[in-house]
Amino acid sequence: MYATPSQQFQSTINHHNPNNPPWRKLLWVKQDYPDNYVDSTFLDELQRNVNMRTYDYWTMVHASGGITQHISSVVIFIAIFIDLQTHTLSANHLIWTGSLLTGAGYLFLDLMMLRKTENYDTHKGKRVVKSAIFFFSTLLGLSPILKTLTSQTSDDTIWALTVCCFLANILFNDYASVSRTGDKILGSLSTNAAIFASVLLASRLDTNLDVFGLLSFAVQWFALFPIFRRHLQELNSNIQTVLTVVMLLMCIVMFSHISKAVVSLYILGFCFLTFICPYWLIFIQKYKNEIHGPWDEARPRLQRPRRGLYRKRTGNLKIM
Amino acid sequence: MLYNICMVSDFFYPNMGGVESHLYLLSQCLILRGHKVIIITHAYGNRTGVRYLTNGLKVYYVPTLVIHNEATLPTIYGFFPLFRNILIRESINIVHGHGAFSSLCHEGILHSKTMGLKACFTDHSLFGFADASSILTNKLLKFTLSDIDHVICVSHTSKENTVLRAALSPRNVSVIPNAVVASQFQPDPSAADPNWITIVVISRQVYRKGMDLLVAVIPRICSMYHNVRFIIGGDGPKRIDLEQMREKHLLHDRVELLGPVKHHQVRNILIQGNIFLNTSLTEAFCIAIVEAACAGLLVVSTKVGGVPEVLPSHMINYAMPEEDDLMIAVSKAIQMIKIGEVDPSRFNDELKDMYSWSNVAERTEKVNHALHDIYFYAHLISGLNISICIYIYISRQVYDSISQSQPSPLIERLRRYYGCGLYAGKIFCMVMALDYLFWRFLEFVFPKDSIERAQPFPYKRYRDYVDKVEEPKAQLK
Repeated sequence: MYATPSQQFQSTINHHNPNNPPWRKLLWVKQDYPDNYVDSTFLDELQRNVNMRTYDYWTMVHASGGITQHISSVVIFIAIFIDLQTHTLSANHLIWTGSLLTGAGYLFLDLMMLRKTENYDTHKGKRVVKSAIFFFSTLLGLSPILKTLTSQTSDDTIWALTVCCFLANILFNDYASVSRTGDKILGSLSTNAAIFASVLLASRLDTNLDVFGLLSFAVQWFALFPIFRRHLQELNSNIQTVLTVVMLLMCIVMFSHISKAVVSLYILGFCFLTFICPYWLIFIQKYKNEIHGPWDEARPRLQRPRRGLYRKRTGNLKIM
Repeated sequence: MLYNICMVSDFFYPNMGGVESHLYLLSQCLILRGHKVIIITHAYGNRTGVRYLTNGLKVYYVPTLVIHNEATLPTIYGFFPLFRNILIRESINIVHGHGAFSSLCHEGILHSKTMGLKACFTDHSLFGFADASSILTNKLLKFTLSDIDHVICVSHTSKENTVLRAALSPRNVSVIPNAVVASQFQPDPSAADPNWITIVVISRQVYRKGMDLLVAVIPRICSMYHNVRFIIGGDGPKRIDLEQMREKHLLHDRVELLGPVKHHQVRNILIQGNIFLNTSLTEAFCIAIVEAACAGLLVVSTKVGGVPEVLPSHMINYAMPEEDDLMIAVSKAIQMIKIGEVDPSRFNDELKDMYSWSNVAERTEKVNHALHDIYFYAHLISGLNISICIYIYISRQVYDSISQSQPSPLIERLRRYYGCGLYAGKIFCMVMALDYLFWRFLEFVFPKDSIERAQPFPYKRYRDYVDKVEEPKAQLK
């Protein structure tokens, strides 16, 4: 790096002497080498880029479908809200379509699970129907209250808050391509953000039925539909591509009479995410510089890993 | 050549630890040699201002805000006026910083280079490269070490790590291991209880020191061997896990938790044991195992970081940081103690012999100041261990080498900082340039002549007086 006077530090007497025992990487042995001697085995144990993954372009394009589907679902929801507000869409239609499709989707999933697992509990169906009826009647009862929720707040605040919440929904959503067991709703932050945003939007509508329609649709769309999508994806990976394209087309169709600018922006965004981002990721892999060596903090391997095992607590920053 | 040296670090007495004792012992030996040493650290609670420690070691406890874990708030320029005043007052030639986590150290090195003094840095710890705190600290280290005269590391692994982190040329990094005062850790074979095999563990109880491994291994050993007990000293967040483990397996009579242990009590605890267990996940240079080996214990340790370089293989059993491997190593050690295969009480002599007289004499021949050295080593026989002699000898070589280099012009310094990175280089250059301007401003407002030079501590007179007073007392005995 810079010319140093410590060159004179290194005596040239001994370490070029062939009779000198080879330098050993030990501290307790007196060796005839100066203290800043650099041996040929210096940095031998360095390992670079051991965890390198090679990515295939088309696999990644296919995988990006998960993200674009989610964004499409948010855009479709906003389109439906706008349609409800301008009374282009009737609340009745929305409620009936939503319920029928949810029912159909649920039955479909039931059949799928029945074929896949042997001891699938079919009596669950009665419980599900009961809880669904309970939930929707509560929602119907609460609609008048929710309609007047934000009557004092200005429009701008609502739009801003809604944008933030939907952004949170998109960013924090669980995009894992491998589905977890069960029908647990994962990524509770993102689901909560979406429901909150839909409540805010619903409070801008005119009639109670509109509010109920939008909210029931929101619950079905943001809480139940992702589960359906995940199971569908497991079934057949081609379905993922078909679903992405279908949702893209739905978006375009629904937004085309509202705003052309949004449609073009959306298509641009879609192309960017699907085609350019995978290429970018593959392009920057060559800058990857992962360094491992004997100085790394070891990961202790225990027989029975305890909960919170690798959680480092504060107070261990100071060394020695 | 005698120098005025300033040690800068956040970590010093009354805080106890490896860096602190290293600073103290190193300073004491340099004072014995005849150099002038001062230490600058931050104020600990009410302890602010100037204090004098043993043999006239002057410590400046600078009143700064402490944020986390004894590190000060890095204000970069806020420390400069006071630091400059101290350096001019004490006529300092060389500034020696310790500890990569110490912001005082980084600032001290930056300011000393701006003022044209020589700077040196000692690194005591190992870092990874992957997590957020490591990335930031490594960048900061790159900044500090862009313009430094020499770097010292405590082990070869630490040297490799530092060279990679700060992108240094390996020729500018010396390896000087830590030293230990072996006479303070004399073994005492009669102190251990002959009915039990005692395993001693003394460490801070944090994740980094492998407490999870310890918690997993203790119940298994206690159930496998019925005459083995544990003494565990130290405190920390993971102490709760140890206590829970003790409760769960009902090992109250087999596992003793001592809590925080003062440094002067460590030897008394160590001599009660037969085996010392170290389960750290990362260590640059584990001084604890050297102290334990000096005190006559067989060491069992995880093979991480710089640990394989420290002790010869007959004094230590290695294990991978895995529960099963650790079990095997500890079992082997217990067997070795049972059948008397090793005699750990002889380790102290061996560790002293490793730094033998013949080796010292050989190195002495290479140095110019032969006469001074003979005086120096003769004086030291009565006092400290020879391993410290070696340490001081090597440090003096470092100081000799760096004091001979010329101060570099400003444009050269800017060029060095510029190479730190695409954006970082420019930012660092700006920081450094502002530092330079600030220094010029301070030179104008508080000129050098207006700062009163401090009286150096009359070390020779003090030493003569103490010896004169001690002599009749020793004769009386």
